[in-house]
Amino acid sequence: MHARLFLIGVTLGVLLSSAALSAERSLAVTIYANDLALIQDRREIEVSGGRQRIEFQDVSAQIRPETVSLTAPDISIVEQNFDYDLLTPAKLMEKAVGQDITIVRVNPATGAETREQARVLATNGGVVLKIGQRIEVLRDDGLPVRVIFDKVPDNLRARPTLSVTVDSSRAGSRQATLSYLTPGLGWRADYVALFNEADAKIDVQGWVTLTNSSGSSYDNAQTLLVAGAPNQAGGAGVGFGQVRRPMPARAQRPTLQEAGTESGSREQLGDFYLYPLAERTSIANLQTKQVSFLDVHGVPAEHGYEFHNPWLGTADAPQSAKTVYSFSTSAHAGLGDQLPAGVLRFYLRDKRGDPQFIGESRIDHTPMGSTLSLATGDAFDVKVHAVVDKRTRLGEFEWQTDMRYELTNALPKPVVVKLLQSGLWGDSRISAESQKSVRQSAETAEWPVTVPANGKAALTASFVTRY
Amino acid sequence: MLGRHWLWMVLAGLRSLGAAADEVAVGEVAAGAPSVVAGPPSDVSVTVYRAPLRNSGSMSLNQLGGFALVSETRTVRLAAGENRLRFEGVADGIEPASVIVAGLPGILEKNREGQLLSPSALIAAAVGKPVVFVRSNAKTGKSEALPGTIVSDADGGVVFKTAQGIEALRCSGLAETVEFTSTELSALPTLSVLVRSAQATIATVTLSYLARGFDWSADYVATLSPDGKTLDLGAWVTLANGNGVGFPKARTQVVAGRVNRESGAVEPIDIGSPILAQCWPRGSTSDTPPQSQLQGASPLGFGLLYAPMDARRQMMALAAPAAMQEFAQKVVEEQLGDLKLYRVPDRTTVAARQSKQVRLMDRTAIAVNTVYQADLGADEAERSTPAVKLLRTQNDAAHHLGLPLPSGRVAVFTDRGGASLLLHESAMRDLAVDEEVEIDLGESADVQVKTVKGEVSVDSAHAHISERVQISNARAAGIQFELRLALAPGARVMRADHALAFKNGRPIFRLSIPAGETATLSYQIDSAVRHLVPR
Repeated sequence: MHARLFLIGVTLGVLLSSAALSAERSLAVTIYANDLALIQDRREIEVSGGRQRIEFQDVSAQIRPETVSLTAPDISIVEQNFDYDLLTPAKLMEKAVGQDITIVRVNPATGAETREQARVLATNGGVVLKIGQRIEVLRDDGLPVRVIFDKVPDNLRARPTLSVTVDSSRAGSRQATLSYLTPGLGWRADYVALFNEADAKIDVQGWVTLTNSSGSSYDNAQTLLVAGAPNQAGGAGVGFGQVRRPMPARAQRPTLQEAGTESGSREQLGDFYLYPLAERTSIANLQTKQVSFLDVHGVPAEHGYEFHNPWLGTADAPQSAKTVYSFSTSAHAGLGDQLPAGVLRFYLRDKRGDPQFIGESRIDHTPMGSTLSLATGDAFDVKVHAVVDKRTRLGEFEWQTDMRYELTNALPKPVVVKLLQSGLWGDSRISAESQKSVRQSAETAEWPVTVPANGKAALTASFVTRY
Repeated sequence: MLGRHWLWMVLAGLRSLGAAADEVAVGEVAAGAPSVVAGPPSDVSVTVYRAPLRNSGSMSLNQLGGFALVSETRTVRLAAGENRLRFEGVADGIEPASVIVAGLPGILEKNREGQLLSPSALIAAAVGKPVVFVRSNAKTGKSEALPGTIVSDADGGVVFKTAQGIEALRCSGLAETVEFTSTELSALPTLSVLVRSAQATIATVTLSYLARGFDWSADYVATLSPDGKTLDLGAWVTLANGNGVGFPKARTQVVAGRVNRESGAVEPIDIGSPILAQCWPRGSTSDTPPQSQLQGASPLGFGLLYAPMDARRQMMALAAPAAMQEFAQKVVEEQLGDLKLYRVPDRTTVAARQSKQVRLMDRTAIAVNTVYQADLGADEAERSTPAVKLLRTQNDAAHHLGLPLPSGRVAVFTDRGGASLLLHESAMRDLAVDEEVEIDLGESADVQVKTVKGEVSVDSAHAHISERVQISNARAAGIQFELRLALAPGARVMRADHALAFKNGRPIFRLSIPAGETATLSYQIDSAVRHLVPR
């Protein structure tokens, strides 16, 4: 869809001149990570002296009108209006009640046209007209009748329209800046990672993905992406169209293993990182646009397995362990960058050497120097069967839970599975275990269990808990 | 074929490895960048993945919840300077964010346009612009052309203006239409890449993307021998493409194992809404149908809009047992990380809205045990329930198996007078080598399990519940029976008149019941009072 490059001046009853616009227009779009964008629209406007109304039609269709501000020299704002009464045939007829219209009857036999003046009496469920001294219902007989209106009512428009009434102390053209917030524009990062099994290294490409479902296009815009989500208080203005928000992350294993402490050279705004696009770009409505921001080769990565058992988790059948890849975002032996939130897709070469997709994982905004551990899916051949062997009541509020974990590996090489048992909060302890555990946190115990090639391993642990 | 530098082309002006790029490389969108259409795909590879949320069972053609990785090689001619390279004929279920373009120098940006050419898009683009209105006289056959402008297209009604005044389109009952002169929209979601080339060149480009609207599953056909002691197992890979785009002579693979997917909805495209002129009351009976925007494909695995409209029928008819059939080709298994990749040996055409079957495996004379099984909860009502019949074997070489069995559906047939008849059909999960395989044969009315509650005695801390279970066998042969108990936490079986075993952490009794007899099993459960359900 084309942005209409013209600012249309409309004459209001009293004085109001038309505000013309020049082609000198400069758009700046700042897109936040949470479906919000700040549009700064600089253009020449032609104003006459005194009070007048300026209409802006080529703004975002989802504009939050309460956030609009117009600044220009020698202009004071009287009021701002956002009109969303749309011009449809029915509205046109409704507004014509009590007024005269022209009807043209077409004789179906001869094609001859007869013109008459008519007054619209009502439009309730049907159009009632008064023609001369007769009253009739429009097209009640089904014969063709054209209806011609003299003008379009003032406040009916094809699109919701923003108008600002200003008081100008002088006439003449000047630079004005219109700025507002709009939902419907968003961005996130999309990463492509190719894992090389032979030397355990990954190549990572990062792309920013801009999406525009705001209903409008932004031509030749200077674009700035902010890796942050400013808080938005409720009451999001007049919403047109559907606002698409990313799916909420499911209750998931944490991906950030160790938060980084390195700083890079990227520009920051408060605590948000900024990703300016180097050159101007056009963002069309419903367009998805990707621009590269990261390309790193040969970063060491580790491939492992992980199985998380919830408290009292017991299964009828073995369950697959998760395949986990971990790597660093450090400047040294890592990606060497802050990673904006997004989805990282993993690829692996098959026997022919073709990259195949092996799963994806969402990451949050990640500082530089962090260690990321991303699950790509389930391992077909590495499974864990966790069972609650026995629950024994030790005292009135004290229980002993005996857990048994059987690990199987159908791969021709030994694997190490990071076995996690959670739910150990509160006053609980491990009273016996067949292998020493590492306590990740008060909540979770961890055992790195080695499972031989094409073999099995077992682990038992007893937990004493109170409640 | 994908080259060594499949993914990575160094972007112009990219900083050295690991250095933070301060600015994202992007080109000025010169409206004048010449549009270049990439040639047709010369080599296509399709790798189909299952619906991520389906752990077992078969797919449904009405809800293809899986996806595919499509890789195509195309030849493009680039002019020196900026080019807008367009790829046409990509799958309609494409996930735009997953697009990878390899083999091009200096990619400035990748775009997927979501505004498609439709009558309403034409009208919307023409609002405020000069167009020509054409009104035909049905009687005389004459048509008159009137230059004018579209004033509004809000809510499906069109208001236009000509020298004669303001009118509403198609409210008069006359034959009226609008003529347009040009459009920049295209019929299908189009992928375009803005690329800057130092000189005119011919490049071989590999385009890879993930696309929704695919799925696959394994369909097993098991034939039970008349004595019930061995099984022949054959399987098909059934894959389907619900997209409107086909992939001729494609290298085709399927991947078994669950892969993690995060992307929910796909970026929406606007396929336009009909322009039935919405008029004043009674002016027309043509009501505008609800907006049919193709808003965001549904999340993966939750059904899909690329389902073929005419597929509202059962999935493929059950494949007959294939004992007599010969198979010219089978898929070849290979390890892909922790997943299993099955490659169709020869190139094949994955057509639009098609399901296709390729042989997965065939094994014969697999020794099986037949077991009747019942589950008993802690507070089961006193009534007779039929036991479930299971075929049990081990996925290893000794049992003529020992290969990964991807999830799907198992249909069990048996022979009756030379004809194969279906016994039961059930779902199967992914089974690795050496796992126990259980094939469900359904409930057996001949083996009934009845619980008789015994006495309950309660002391200060414990409740003792006596239970008696009667298992009746009306079959002509003796059976192996297993009773699995589901006990409340902390409850234990204190004493029983049969040997107690444990399987998967649950107490289990194994009984042999001769033909025509009823076995009685008595046991006592000791439970903490707090878990006793009051009766």
